[in-house]
This record gives sequence, C-alpha cells and structure tokens, in this order.
Amino acid sequence: MQHKLMYFHSKTILTIVMLLTFIASLFSVEWGGELVHAGGWTTMLQMIQGMLQPDFSLEILKLAFMSAWITLAYAVAGMTLAVLFGFVFGVLSSGILLKNRGASHYAVKNFFRGMLGFLRAIHELVWALLFVAATGISPFAAIFAIAIPYSGILGRVFSDIFTNVPEKPLQSLRANGATRLQQLLYGYLPFAAPDLISYAFYRFECAIRSSAIMSFIGLGGLGFQIQLSMQDLHYDEVWTFLIFLIGMVMIVDLWSQMLRKRLVA
Amino acid sequence: MKHTRFKIGFVRGSLLAAFLLMITSWMYIFSVEDADFLRLFSEKNKQFTIEFLQNLAGIGVENPAFTNAESWKSAAVLSFKTLVMSVMAVGFATLGMLLTVIPAASTAASGMLTLSRTRYGWFIYGFIRLFYTVSRAVPELLWAMIIILILKPGILPGAIALALHNFGILGKLCAETVEDMDIRPVRSLASSGASKPQIFLYGIFPTILPKFISYIVYRWEVIIRTTVVVGLVGAGGLGHEFKLSMSWFHYTEVALYLICYVILVFLVDLISEGMRKIAQR
Repeated sequence: MQHKLMYFHSKTILTIVMLLTFIASLFSVEWGGELVHAGGWTTMLQMIQGMLQPDFSLEILKLAFMSAWITLAYAVAGMTLAVLFGFVFGVLSSGILLKNRGASHYAVKNFFRGMLGFLRAIHELVWALLFVAATGISPFAAIFAIAIPYSGILGRVFSDIFTNVPEKPLQSLRANGATRLQQLLYGYLPFAAPDLISYAFYRFECAIRSSAIMSFIGLGGLGFQIQLSMQDLHYDEVWTFLIFLIGMVMIVDLWSQMLRKRLVA
Repeated sequence: MKHTRFKIGFVRGSLLAAFLLMITSWMYIFSVEDADFLRLFSEKNKQFTIEFLQNLAGIGVENPAFTNAESWKSAAVLSFKTLVMSVMAVGFATLGMLLTVIPAASTAASGMLTLSRTRYGWFIYGFIRLFYTVSRAVPELLWAMIIILILKPGILPGAIALALHNFGILGKLCAETVEDMDIRPVRSLASSGASKPQIFLYGIFPTILPKFISYIVYRWEVIIRTTVVVGLVGAGGLGHEFKLSMSWFHYTEVALYLICYVILVFLVDLISEGMRKIAQR
C-alpha cells in the first residue's frame, strides 16, 4: 500500500511540475496591448471573410489541383526513399540480423540507433534550407529533405516493431536451421508487415503536410500558392488552397484509418 | 468468408494504389519537373557544396561565431526563448485539448461514459472532431504565417501556431484514449451520484493520466523540432535568427544555431524520456 501511494505521488508531482513550468513560461510574454499589429484585427476580419467565401473560380481551381498534385508527388517521392531507408535502418538497429548477445551486437545496434536519432533531430525544412544553400533549388532538395527525417522516424518505429515480433515462430525457424536472412523473410516480416504498412501510411499523411511547407524555400506546391496569395492579400484564394490541403490530408487520413482497421485489428 | 476476401482486397488494392502513386510521382518529377539526378553531382554543385560546408565549419573565416563567447551567450538566450516557446505551445495545446477531449470521445457522446445521454452530444462530438481534423491538417508553418499577420512577431505567435496544430493531434490521440479506457469505474461513480467534475477528477483523470502525459511529452519532442520552423516566418527564437544569418550569409552563425538546435532537441528528448518513465510507473 505504501508502495502504491508513492507511485501516485510521483505522478501527481510530475503533473504539478508540468503545470508550473507552463505557468512560468507565460511570464516571458509581455501581456500588454502591444501584442497585436496596428491592422491586426482588420486582417483577421478579412481572413474570416475569405474563409466564408473562398475563391472557387475555374482558374484558381485548376491551379489548386495542379499544386495539390505537385505537393502529393513530392510527398510520395520522399516517402518512397524514407520507407526504403527506414526499413534498412530499422532492420539494422533492431539487431535481428546479428549474432545474439555479443559486444559487437550492441555496438552495431547502438550505432544505428544513434544515427536514427541524429536523422530525426533536424526538421525537414531545415534540411531543405541547407540543401538549397548548398546545391540550389531542385526537386531533390525537397525530396531528400523529407526523406531524411522521415527515414529516421520510420527506422526507429520499424525497429521497435521488429523487436516486438512473437518469439515462438522464430525459435521454430531457428531450430530448423534457418539463416538470419531466412528468419527475417519468413519469421519477422510476415508478423511485422501489417504494423509496418499501417505506420508508413500514417507517416504518409504527415509527409503531405511537410511537402506543402517545402514551398517556403521556393519549391512549387500548395504552400507556395498559399504564400503568394497571402502576400497579395487575397485571403479568399488562400482559403481555396487551404481547403485543398485539408481535403487531401483528410482523404489520406481516412485511407490510412480504413487500412489500419483491416490490417491491425 | 466474403468479409475476409474484402479485407484482403482492400489491403491489396491500397498497396497497389500506393505503388502506382509512387511510380507516377517519380515519373512526374523526372519528366515534367525535369529533375536531373546526375546533375546533382555535377562538378559545379560539388564545388558549391564543399564551399558551403567549409563556410559552415568556418574554414578561412575570421572569428567564426562558435569560437566567440559573445555569440554563444546570445545563442544560449535564443535557445532558452525557444524552449520557453515550446513549453508554452504544449501548454496551450494541452489546455485546449483538456477542455474538449471528453465530449470528443464517442463513448461520452453516446452517453455510455456518464450514463446520461444528451440530445446534442453527437452534434458536439462531430463539431469538435471536425475542429481537430482541420487544425491538424494545416501545418504549423502555415498557421504561423497566418498568425504573424495578426500578432506582432515574438514567441507568442509562434507558440500559438504550434499549439493550434498540436491541439488537433493531441485531441485526436487523447479522445481515442478516453474511448478505449475502462468505463466501469466511471459508471460506478455516476450511478452513485457523483457530479460531472467529480466523475472527471476521480473516475477519468487517474485512468488516463499516464497515457495523456506520454502523449503530451511526445508532442513536446515534436514541437521542439518545429519551433525553428515557425521562427523562420518571423515568430521569435532560434529559427528567426537562423533565417537572418542564412540570408546574410553568416554561415558560422548558422552552424552555431544548428548546434544549439540539436543540443536542445537531445535535451528535450532526454527530459521527456525521464518524464515518460515516471508517468508509466
């Protein structure tokens, strides 16, 4: 009982600390009347007006379709690379291809874990900025920028999925003298595949969002059009593009949910 | 039997569709966008890349930023501001989520959770869920671009932009937690006449707390990575200075901010790992 009570305490203390940190952070903002731009409220009204009457003229719709496709294409291309690299890194960092329980086993595993952590650490837009600064604007800047952090995330999750594969079928494979590669193909993959696919699809949704913001560095797509329209203060157009983006994300979200229901459940 | 066949059909169809999408996308990028993979490795690009990396490393630069105590100091201040921004963002997102999460659970909407069905329950459920979807479909950067038109630059607009996006994600994750929770304690409280706040405090809160904390902490990890991005469009913090140094070609400063950024990310990962362990115990 005493033990239980202590658990409760640590959780409560954690909650209180989190709350206090948040409250402390609020003091860093000067809550005067100086927070809003001179024309801030008018801008907001105009924006709400634009939201109520988005621009659905044929020209804008055509442009929106085209940019939505560009955004989708970049997202898909980035995800293709991310899934490939994520899979390889996932297999390597889960250590399933290695001999058990050696010092080298842990060294290799931790090396790849650390590498995945590094890939994950930097946001895709920062990668994109660096690529553009190094090689100039090219679709590959966006694609690689998406692929790098996403392969880090996918690799991490894939390796967790591989380590959680049930042990019994693997033991039977091992007892029958399967090589490490055969174990991967016939033991790990069949069990892990549903989880791998459903997680990759979930990330695909995120990739669309990431690809939309790649426009910030000058690559086409929905985000680019939004930025242009915003600079021209055409908020009705902004909302048309935003609706396209939201719609696309929602469709992929729905797709991945339907897939997940059938795969995992 | 028929059901199983449909199940497999849908999965196969999805995989096929995904595969086709991949091929068309790559073909489009290579043909229409005229992306030349080999040109990426041309002599000129190689030169540029080497030059850029040398600039980052401060080779041949007088007084690079990362050997200068002054710039380290200002970078530390910026990092702290960025950290504060991320905490504020998580706080706002959590606040919004906590206010809406119970009606956004289908078990609450159907009246199963509290044993009291209201006529407008499903309407509120749908409304909040739509709100979640829209707010998470718009990336942080776009929220920031919109908000920066209204609010003056600083860490507040950045925090709000990050909060808006993460509010939708946290809301969805946490509403699903509430849906999956064991409703028996809540029902027993409700049937013995507990009021709504009492039900929340004694029935729901203790059950979902560990899950909620782990989600909040997980979003915090993501947010600290994204703070730089909202900074790029003018919300304060590391990202803002990063962008400025980039456009002034002060590459050693860029390198310094990148170092600070990575340190910040690993620090938050470390703290959140510890918090998650405490929450899960």
